[in-house]
Amino acid sequence: MRKPLYRLFAILLVSALLLAACAQAAVTQAPQEVKTEAPKEEPISLTFWYWAESDAPGADAWMKETVEAYKKIKPNVAVEVVPQSTDTLISAFQAAATAKSGPDIASQWATGPVMGFVWQDALVPVSDYVPAAELDNWLNLNENKYNDKYWAASMYLIGIDVMYNKDLFAKAGVTAPESGRWTWDEFIAACDKLKAADITPWAIGDKDGYGGAWWFANYGIQSLDSTDDLRQAIIGAKPFTDEHYTGWYKDLDEMVKKGYFNQDVMSLDLSQGVRLFWEGKAAMAFGTDGMIKQALTDLGEDKVGVMKTPKKGTGKLADVGNATQSISFFITKWCKNPQAAADFLTFMHTPERLASWYKHTGVIAADKRFDRSLVTSPVLKQMMEWETTGPQVWLENFLPGQIDSDADLTGGQMIFSQSGTPDDVAALWQRAAETWRNQHPDELTNWQNWQQ
Amino acid sequence: MPEKKPPTKNVFRKLEPYLYLAPATILVVLVFIYPVIQIMRTSLLQNTASGIKTIGLTNYRLVSEDPVFWTALKNNGKLLFSVPLMTVLALFIAILLFEHVRGWLVYRGLIFLPYILAIPVVGTTFVYLLGLNGIVNTLLRTVGAGFLAQDWLGSATWVVPSISLVIIYREMGFGVVLFLARLMSLEKEILEAAEIDGANWRQKHFFVTLPQLAGVIEFFVVVELITMLSWVFAYVFTMTGGGPGFASTVMEFYIWKHAFAFRSPGIASALAVVLLATTTFLIILQLRLRRRSLEESI
Repeated sequence: MRKPLYRLFAILLVSALLLAACAQAAVTQAPQEVKTEAPKEEPISLTFWYWAESDAPGADAWMKETVEAYKKIKPNVAVEVVPQSTDTLISAFQAAATAKSGPDIASQWATGPVMGFVWQDALVPVSDYVPAAELDNWLNLNENKYNDKYWAASMYLIGIDVMYNKDLFAKAGVTAPESGRWTWDEFIAACDKLKAADITPWAIGDKDGYGGAWWFANYGIQSLDSTDDLRQAIIGAKPFTDEHYTGWYKDLDEMVKKGYFNQDVMSLDLSQGVRLFWEGKAAMAFGTDGMIKQALTDLGEDKVGVMKTPKKGTGKLADVGNATQSISFFITKWCKNPQAAADFLTFMHTPERLASWYKHTGVIAADKRFDRSLVTSPVLKQMMEWETTGPQVWLENFLPGQIDSDADLTGGQMIFSQSGTPDDVAALWQRAAETWRNQHPDELTNWQNWQQ
Repeated sequence: MPEKKPPTKNVFRKLEPYLYLAPATILVVLVFIYPVIQIMRTSLLQNTASGIKTIGLTNYRLVSEDPVFWTALKNNGKLLFSVPLMTVLALFIAILLFEHVRGWLVYRGLIFLPYILAIPVVGTTFVYLLGLNGIVNTLLRTVGAGFLAQDWLGSATWVVPSISLVIIYREMGFGVVLFLARLMSLEKEILEAAEIDGANWRQKHFFVTLPQLAGVIEFFVVVELITMLSWVFAYVFTMTGGGPGFASTVMEFYIWKHAFAFRSPGIASALAVVLLATTTFLIILQLRLRRRSLEESI
């Protein structure tokens, strides 16, 4: 009788030991689980070199609010925002890229400047860290697409069209185009009427070169068939001296000679030139959504209208929109927590943040989920319509930085200051491109291989 | 027999001066010689698709083929003309102050004030003063001289002379204080003797004062020559950004653009070497001319 008892005891003992072993395993597993969760709670520090305020006043305040909001849902992630200056945006990040050290997230103007750093191996693609379903909502990502990857995030869209002062038009007997766009001849006729009425037809500033660059991107584009058309001249397959590329400077030169611009163009920066329009001192000016919003505030909702840049060119790009994300945000190669950086960029695109962005800046967000009903002004609604319909190309983005600086910005200055003829400027483009090709064989190879 | 010194002591004696010189030498090597060698080395490199390659003097050839380089060099050359003007003005004002004109201490302070202001402050202020609708032109129009009004910084013709004037305005204070300090240390008896001998104001200062200021004038001229070649970046950057076109681009600005905006360290280094060589050449030339004139006067 005792044997079965022993057996039972033995079975119980073994079972107890097994249970104990399992319990031990459970105990030892528990800390493992804690261990796997622990990194999530580990403090993460992200440094964000941020630029947007110049494009969208209010962007800095929005970013401050966004960082605070993110801290509430991710208390372990601290985002330090370092505002960047326009003048040193490229050079500061170039220094970081050379040292392979610096911010975790950085800002750079879309396309050309971003690609320059992609080719320097200073970035990781955002599409490696942000799910495709989320990326599908982000607009204009194609501006930074290379090798089938998206390298930077968009935040907002800026379109640049022509704003006009209805009162000054009426005073000069000028009627705005019903189609929303004049032909070049109609535009020149309107400028003549305005000039005859002692009204400055167009306000602009070009001390920083961007006035001329905006004419290039809005008017110079019209004779081109594609961005690849421009690339052909950049890589030397076609000459920049061809009318196709630089013939439009003759029209700009004619405008300067006829006195259609404010006289102090070369004393004013681009934004200072636009101020003349806000003050009612000129009938037309290029304006971003933010600039147009300011004009509506200063001149009155019913006093400002918008139209597309007058059309002359017959290239395939003559009718495309020009909305660009302007600045792009990307994750650096040396970022220790690229996923955390991507999560923060994703948080910036939550509907609540997108709505707040518009409230702060008046600039529409580059996201399909942006609540379009927030835009109430008919003028700004029109802008939004243009910016989100059809293909969009901001041509300046498709220039290497050196050609942009030494030909695009400088060429416009030569015309506005009348220190060079349109032929001189065409020669300048050609020379600047040749110089760039000779001095940057590495970049040239990348541009030659870049399928746009 | 004289007692022989231990050999270790002799060695130490020989080494002693070098040991004293060592800290300063190491410092100079670290902060000057090493960077110069590095820049020279970088000027022989180029980023290519297959990595960084040594390309000999190609960067120098590319630089010499770039018309902007020649424009920048020419603009630096134009700025050099400010140096004699600035020196003469500073001398004249210093002598006036030395004559103890009424309120000379206040004038001295006022003239020196721009020199202690940061260049970007001076530059930004003059952007507002020299704009087409700036204060200078407004004043000209107010006094009926509107025909003289120009877009001082926006015109390719006027931009370099305008920058020169701003540089003179700021740097002159340094010269005035320098010359005045030297004037104060002159023996008054010599000047009094000249007066007793019947020298007029011009003769007294031209033949007596100026020769005694030669050393300090030379120092000032050399410093300002270097300034005009390699310290004008901040003026150009804040006032014109090198424009309109390339009309006010100077070597430093062009080096900066290549180094940081255009991602071409090789070209930037080649330009820097050329600038260093030009500066060194001019300084040596200036010093030699000075030495020759001293030898001739002896």
